[in-house]
Amino acid sequence: MSRDYTRRDVLEIGARAVAMAGLGGFGTLLAVKAHAGDAWWIDPDKCINSRLGTAGAETCQSCATECVLTLSAIRAVNEFSKCGRCYVCPAYFDIHSAAGPDGLPSKKLCPRDAIERLPIGWIDPEDPANNFYEYVIDEALCNGCGLCVMGCKEPAGLGSVRLEVNHDVCLDCNRCSISTACPEDAYARLST
Amino acid sequence: MKYRRARRIGHSRGGEWGFRDALRAVARDGEGRWLLVGDEQVVVFTSDGEPVRRWATERPGWAAAVDAEGRIWVGEEGRIEVFSPRGRLEDGWQDELFARVTALAVTGDEIFAADVGSRWIHRFDRDRRLLNHLGDRHRKGGFHLPNGVLDFALDVDGTVVVANPGMHRVERYAPDGDLLDRFGAFGQHDPAAFPGCCNPTNLALGPASEVVVSEKAGPRVKVYDRAGGLLAIVAAGADFDPDCKNMDLAVDASGSIGVVDTVGRQVVVFDRVAGPEPAAARGAPG
Ligand code: SF4
Ligand code: SF4
Ligand code: SF4
Repeated sequence: MSRDYTRRDVLEIGARAVAMAGLGGFGTLLAVKAHAGDAWWIDPDKCINSRLGTAGAETCQSCATECVLTLSAIRAVNEFSKCGRCYVCPAYFDIHSAAGPDGLPSKKLCPRDAIERLPIGWIDPEDPANNFYEYVIDEALCNGCGLCVMGCKEPAGLGSVRLEVNHDVCLDCNRCSISTACPEDAYARLST
Repeated sequence: MKYRRARRIGHSRGGEWGFRDALRAVARDGEGRWLLVGDEQVVVFTSDGEPVRRWATERPGWAAAVDAEGRIWVGEEGRIEVFSPRGRLEDGWQDELFARVTALAVTGDEIFAADVGSRWIHRFDRDRRLLNHLGDRHRKGGFHLPNGVLDFALDVDGTVVVANPGMHRVERYAPDGDLLDRFGAFGQHDPAAFPGCCNPTNLALGPASEVVVSEKAGPRVKVYDRAGGLLAIVAAGADFDPDCKNMDLAVDASGSIGVVDTVGRQVVVFDRVAGPEPAAARGAPG
C-alpha cells in the first residue's frame, strides 16, 4: 500500500467522522421546531435514564406509564452519529442473561421487542465479533420505558439512545401528566 | 499473583497540582517519576507522589511516552509534542494522519502512534517516514473503538499488543501489521472474559510481558499471561467510581500498576505483593 493511498484513505475516514459528529444533537431540536410554538421536551441531561453520573441507578419508567395515551407519546430514538455499532449492544441485549451458543447474551432487553438489530454490510458468520450492527427502534412498538436508554448510557454504552416526545401523536396536554410525575424535573415546556 | 492498593498519585481536582477537567493518561519515566497528562498540561510527580514540575501542552493531552533520552512525547488532537525532561518544548509534530493520538511508543528506531480517527496504529521511523499501519487489514476497517480511545503497548520482542474493545479482544501484531495472536471474548459473568459493549479499553505490559488491562462499566483492572490466562484481578467494584472509563495504565519494573481514576482525576497505584493466587483468577480465559 503506497503512502499516498493510505493518507488519502485516512483523511476520507476522518472527514466522514467529522461530518457524522456534526449532525449529532440536532434531531431533538428539529423535531420540536417542526411544531412551532410551545412543546413538551425531555432534557436528556436531566432525565435519570440518560443523565451522566448516575451509573447503577434504577430505570425510571414514568414516561411509559404516566402518559394519557394508551401507547405513550414518548419513544426512544437512537442517534446514529453517536452509536458505536457494537455487536454486543447493552441497549439491545440483556447483557446479564446467560450466553447462548454463539457466545452472545441469550435475551433481549426491550420488553416490547421494538429494537431491530440490522447487520451492516457483509456478515462474517464464523465470528460474531467481526460484524457491525445498526440498531433501529420501531416507534410503533416503543412505549418509552427507558430500559434501552439506561442500557446505553455512559459508561456502559455511548449514550446514543435517548427518550423523545413523538410530536406526531402527543396531544400537547396543557398540563402533561408525565411532567407532573417526572422525578427529575426533566420534562419541560420548550418555546421554539 | 496478588496486588495491594498502595497510594494515590496526584492532587484532587481542586488541588494546586490537580486536573480541572480531565486526567487522561499516565506514564513512568526512567527515574520512576509519574507523568500525568490531561487538561492542557503535563504534571510530574516523584515515585512517592511529591509534585516536581508541570508545563502546558498546546492542546488537551491524551497519551504520554518517554524515550531513551528521557524526552516526553505527548499525544494530542492532531499533533504530537515532544518535551525535554524538564518540560521545554523541543518539537511539535503536526500530521494529517493524527486525528487524536491516544497512545504512543518510541524506540531507538521507531515511533508508534495510535490514532482514533483512522482506528489504526501508525508506525514511523525516527525521521517520521510512515512505514506501515497496524489494524488496517481488519475487516472492520480498523480497530473497533466505541470508547474513542485506542491503546497498545510494545513488548520486549518487538511485537505490539493492542486492546480491541469493540471485539472484546487483545491482539498481538508483528510491527509490519501481521496479526500473530489474540485472546478474549465477550462474557458478563466469567471474570476472565470482557463484559459490556466494549472492553478492555486500555492496556499495558508488565515486566514479564503480562498483559494488564482496564475495563469500564464496572471499572476493573486485570492481569493475563501472554496466552490469555487470567492471572489476577487487581481492582474492581469499590476501588473506583462506577463512572470511571478509559482508565489508562502504567506498569513499572516491580510490577506496580498505576491506574488513572478518571473521576477522581488521580492515579491509583497497586503494588504487587507475595501471596496466594485469588480464587477468581483461576478460571480459564473466556
Ligand atoms: S402531553 Fe399528554 S400526550 Fe403528550 S406526552 Fe404528555 S401526557 Fe402524553
Ligand atoms: S424505550 Fe423501552 S419499549 Fe422503547 S425501545 Fe427502549 S426498551 Fe423498548
Ligand atoms: S419521567 Fe422524567 S426522569 Fe423519568 S424517564 Fe421521563 S423524563 Fe426521564
